[in-house]
Amino acid sequence: MSERYPGYDVLAKRDSQSWNAQTRAVIDERLALDPEAHRFFNDVEWVTLLAVCARIVPQPAERARPVPIAGLIDAKLFEKRGDGYRDARLPPAPAAWRRALEALDAESQAGYGVRFHELQPLNQDDLLRAMQEGKTHHPAWGDMPAKVFFTKRLLHDIVTAYYSHPTAWNEIGFGGPAAPRGYVRMDFDRRDPWEAAEVHPGHEAEARRDNARVG
Amino acid sequence: MKGRREAQQLNLSSALLALSVLADSAVEHYRGSFHNRAMYTPLAVAGLTLGASVLGTADRRPRSHGVRDSIYALAAVTGAAGLLYHGYNITKRPGGLSWLNLFYAAPVGAPAALLLAGLLGKGAERVRLPSSARRAAGRALATVSAVGIVGTVLETALLHFRGAYHNPAMVLPVSVPPVAATLLGAAACAPGRRVGRFARWWLKATALLGFAGVGFHAYGVSRNMGGWRNWSQNVLNGPPLPAPPSYTGLALAGLAALGMMERETGAEPMWGRSQCDARAH
Repeated sequence: MSERYPGYDVLAKRDSQSWNAQTRAVIDERLALDPEAHRFFNDVEWVTLLAVCARIVPQPAERARPVPIAGLIDAKLFEKRGDGYRDARLPPAPAAWRRALEALDAESQAGYGVRFHELQPLNQDDLLRAMQEGKTHHPAWGDMPAKVFFTKRLLHDIVTAYYSHPTAWNEIGFGGPAAPRGYVRMDFDRRDPWEAAEVHPGHEAEARRDNARVG
Repeated sequence: MKGRREAQQLNLSSALLALSVLADSAVEHYRGSFHNRAMYTPLAVAGLTLGASVLGTADRRPRSHGVRDSIYALAAVTGAAGLLYHGYNITKRPGGLSWLNLFYAAPVGAPAALLLAGLLGKGAERVRLPSSARRAAGRALATVSAVGIVGTVLETALLHFRGAYHNPAMVLPVSVPPVAATLLGAAACAPGRRVGRFARWWLKATALLGFAGVGFHAYGVSRNMGGWRNWSQNVLNGPPLPAPPSYTGLALAGLAALGMMERETGAEPMWGRSQCDARAH
């Protein structure tokens, strides 16, 4: 897929008027996350989580700084940062995640004789689809509805973790926190000079030039 | 030459209004990314008007200046065209003539300041002529200033309402200038020393308010997130710095008109038989 915002790097705004010390501190902390570190999940759960994340939001191999989705989820659970709400059919997030990853592995062992992360991607997708459709069978799921976990916990946590990262922002042309500088040209198809420029067919150079100046 | 001082004062009024239009349209049309080429027009015309007016304030000769007069005519026509165009901009948006579009589309009354700059400038050139030609000029100019102030008050009321009058000082420009405009209108209808004196005070207060308004608006910019350091957003998004001096320009014109009316009344007792008085009798 060709880039939609060629040459755009949201971090060019870091030291401009767009961000203040608080914004920089928050983003710096997110970027400093070690993608291999896991403090909440054990090693067994961790590799399963990595495999799940890679199937839900596959990332291009050539990315210089892939979004550490699993690491962001692990940090959130470890630091006990809740959403402030949850679907009552699920246990609290830490317990729900542990049980789901264990059950997914057990389901894989039962069906294919190997662990989830060792499966071929297509088979991983089959298991994830079974979860999504509520067609899992293993007793390890207990009374937790797999379907609800998939939509309300797994997708929610993976997608929000992905789009909390500057690499994902570059992909979608998002400007990061509007703190303190927001936007003043609010009409449709208008652009502030500190906003990502979308490429129009045949005009990649212009978009690239504008994106070099967003800082 | 009697009318010389008033003429120069009117040139100054025109200069202030032109400056306000130049700065305001530069900032706001830059914000609008000069999406339409016509958005450059007020910059060029207000720039010309400002130049002509500044030269006019230094011109002590008792005659009108052809180039200046033409520039003022151009300013008036441009202002009128701008009014129509801003009106069109509002109605073409989804929702048409709605509060939302009145608040956020092209400001409906802003181009009127250029129209007023043109009219007051025309007045400045006219009162330089021998007295026969400027006999009714004082009254006409008082009317233009009073109507101009009322229009500016309506624009201010709309936008300060949008700002929820969150600062009590935001009430000032919708309470002081209307009194000044009313007294000025009354003085135009029934020239008299007493009304004139009251009108003079309130016009002076209005003129001061125009200056103070820039300070208040600068404070408003500083109160937005990031303050002046975040100027590239807050100057555009905060209260418009160049808007309040319109009041000063119009109030100065009103003061000049008052001066002319007072002298005309003194010089020509028959002035009392104006249309207003005739209607009153």
